[in-house]
Amino acid sequence: MADVFLSLKPWNFETLKPDLMQLTYLEAIRQGIWEEMERDPTVFCLGEDIGIYGGAFKVTDGFIDRFGPERVIDTPIAESAIVGAAFGASLTGMRPVAEFQFMDFIGCAFNQISNMVAKTHYLWGAPAPLVLRGPSGGYVHGGPFHSQNPEMWFVHNPGLKVICPATPSDAKGLIKAAIRDNNPCVFFEHKYLYRRIKEEVPSEDYVVPIGKARIAREGRDLSIITYAAMVHTALEAAEILSKEGIDLEILDLRTVSPLDREAIAQTVKKTNKVIILHEHSRTGGLAGEISAIINEEAFDDLDGPIVRIAGLDSAIPFSPPQEHHYLPKLEDVVREARGLKAY
Amino acid sequence: MGNKKPKSKASSNGHRPRNGTYRTATNPVGAAALGRSVERSSTGSRNHYLRTYEIPDYRLEQPEFSVRQLTEKDKQGQEHVRYEVTGDLEAPVPPIRDSKFLSKQQAVEIYRYMLLNRKMEIALENLYKQGKVVGGVYFGLGQEACSCASAYALDKDDWFAPMIRNQGALLVRGFAARDTMMQYMAKADSPTKGRDGTSHFGDIEKRNMVSPISMLGDLIPVLSGVALGARLQGHNIAVMTWIGDGGQSTGVTYEGINFAAVQNLGLVLIVESNLWAYSTPSNMQYRCQDLAERAIGYGIPGVIVDGTDACQVYDAARDAVERAHAGEGPTLIEAKMMRMKGHAIHDAAGYVPKEMFNFWKKRDPLSRFENYLVKAKKWLTPRENEALIAEVDEVIEAEREIAVNSPMPTPESAEGGVFCENGCHEIKPKYDVPKVKKGSVAYKETEAAVHLK
Repeated sequence: MADVFLSLKPWNFETLKPDLMQLTYLEAIRQGIWEEMERDPTVFCLGEDIGIYGGAFKVTDGFIDRFGPERVIDTPIAESAIVGAAFGASLTGMRPVAEFQFMDFIGCAFNQISNMVAKTHYLWGAPAPLVLRGPSGGYVHGGPFHSQNPEMWFVHNPGLKVICPATPSDAKGLIKAAIRDNNPCVFFEHKYLYRRIKEEVPSEDYVVPIGKARIAREGRDLSIITYAAMVHTALEAAEILSKEGIDLEILDLRTVSPLDREAIAQTVKKTNKVIILHEHSRTGGLAGEISAIINEEAFDDLDGPIVRIAGLDSAIPFSPPQEHHYLPKLEDVVREARGLKAY
Repeated sequence: MGNKKPKSKASSNGHRPRNGTYRTATNPVGAAALGRSVERSSTGSRNHYLRTYEIPDYRLEQPEFSVRQLTEKDKQGQEHVRYEVTGDLEAPVPPIRDSKFLSKQQAVEIYRYMLLNRKMEIALENLYKQGKVVGGVYFGLGQEACSCASAYALDKDDWFAPMIRNQGALLVRGFAARDTMMQYMAKADSPTKGRDGTSHFGDIEKRNMVSPISMLGDLIPVLSGVALGARLQGHNIAVMTWIGDGGQSTGVTYEGINFAAVQNLGLVLIVESNLWAYSTPSNMQYRCQDLAERAIGYGIPGVIVDGTDACQVYDAARDAVERAHAGEGPTLIEAKMMRMKGHAIHDAAGYVPKEMFNFWKKRDPLSRFENYLVKAKKWLTPRENEALIAEVDEVIEAEREIAVNSPMPTPESAEGGVFCENGCHEIKPKYDVPKVKKGSVAYKETEAAVHLK
């Protein structure tokens, strides 16, 4: 992963329409929301400091000038009110996009999300087309309250769709899909990726379907099932291991709820060995759930134990050496892959 | 309280226009409650300003009593803690305050809803005793005027979300008694098809109701959001919800009212001060004298009414609804009354001092209103009143019959409906397509520094 801070010259989106655009992960999300607000008058944004300031990470930079303060609403520091208000507005047929300054703070609104929003359609048949989005993830030394990966809090809440894109193209296509979806979507943007990766993104209007994984790299020896920033770590490991003749397949889940069971089973059936890789803590983590799916769908196809690589069972610490120790690393993936290949 | 406003200071510290709206002097609730006065203190060695705020109190009596925990020893010398009430509990019952709005026909209609509310709950109690109810039953006994008269102040386009004791509000807004009865019996034909009980159901199509959840206060930001959605569609609507003196202790209550206040949304919050939060008396929930004072901190109007007086409740609610429709923002109405049963049917409320029950029993909202309509106003003859009561009894019996005969849901009906999919709903603006800003601001990539790199 190139650690480059990108700075492109401003360009005019409406007049310049190249077939392919080079966009950062952050810019892809920003453009996705912008396009949806242009397309659909019921889409609006609310959150802390998203207006004139443009958001802590500048995802909504310039939105207030284009769309006005009515559709780009700076709120009090009150996460339950933000989610509650977004939900209420969605009941009137609006499509709110609520920003959390950091996804760590989503815990402040947990009751609204878990007991109000997620249960609504099941209990009383009201659709809640809202998006709760914000930056999550480590590797930026944000410490225990600015580096968490709280997606599992929501995976265990039936009624929510939980989305964790790994690439600019997916980030744009998935944020647009989330905004158009008739269900509450929790959209985790990996802040390490925000301005570190850049790729060619289709210029035409497109969405990436929610709930569909993608093969990020085809391979035959073993599979790594992962998502978000860890996809890039896995890809790097694959480059290193290919020189040793180990051919990794990498499945990028893209959506962690609902999980693409079919794609998980398929890659296991193909390579017969699997590593599950995620940033958040091991116990009660997504790897446990995916292991169970493999057990149910492809047990007879396994030629080795399912390997988990995950964060430690602690809070994510602040100091760089400690954070480095807590999080999954390239060398962990390379080591575990070598071991599993030899099994 | 009640200091006169010095003109010069009031203009700088008085009401401020927000979001292009203004508050008019013709609105008694808004003008009075927001009126702050500021004057230079004449006492003390330091110069400072003394601000006072006004909370209109429309009650015709201001009962004052306090409840405290008392430790006493029994004959064996064992210590026991109980609640003790002190205050004037023998005060005579005040009359009903004449409404500035209600016609004879409207007053009688509210009375009929209160009757329906009371009789529906009596029917529920009987269903419970017959073993037909799944779980408990929650009652609004003593709170029928507050539930019914407040909801009656809403217009058709307005929204509401009741709390557990506002089963009367559901009747006012067009739901049938059978809906609530079937919810309690977990029937297949209940509004949630058995998936939830009590007043926990909603309807975003016709009756503009958000389903409550059991956690208290969460409806307040949600209703604010409903008003926000409507305003984006060009409509100032009123959104009404209720909260108890216990429920208002939650943090989300603060967040929700504050959000409505800064966004100037038409929230009408009825704070039902019913003195007991389950078994905890209100003076263990908050320290201020009256919860209406909270409004001062939010920068919104707050008023106090007698929650057992349907006319006072209606008038304050209607003032607030009209403010909402005029885009003048939220209102907090504190309605004083007492929960006349336990938290739910299992709770005998043995912790409530008997004198408190006796005091409030004399202030039963239904008999007070009946007395007002039949004897004070003579808007109902005794014979008409009897006929009305008989008609309500018939309605409730018919509703009970339908509810009891609804089947239980099949086990398999627990499945499905977690997501809105396969075109089960079409999402469209409830009021109008929002007007959007036509702009020439072109999309530009952002280059600004970020919080964490």
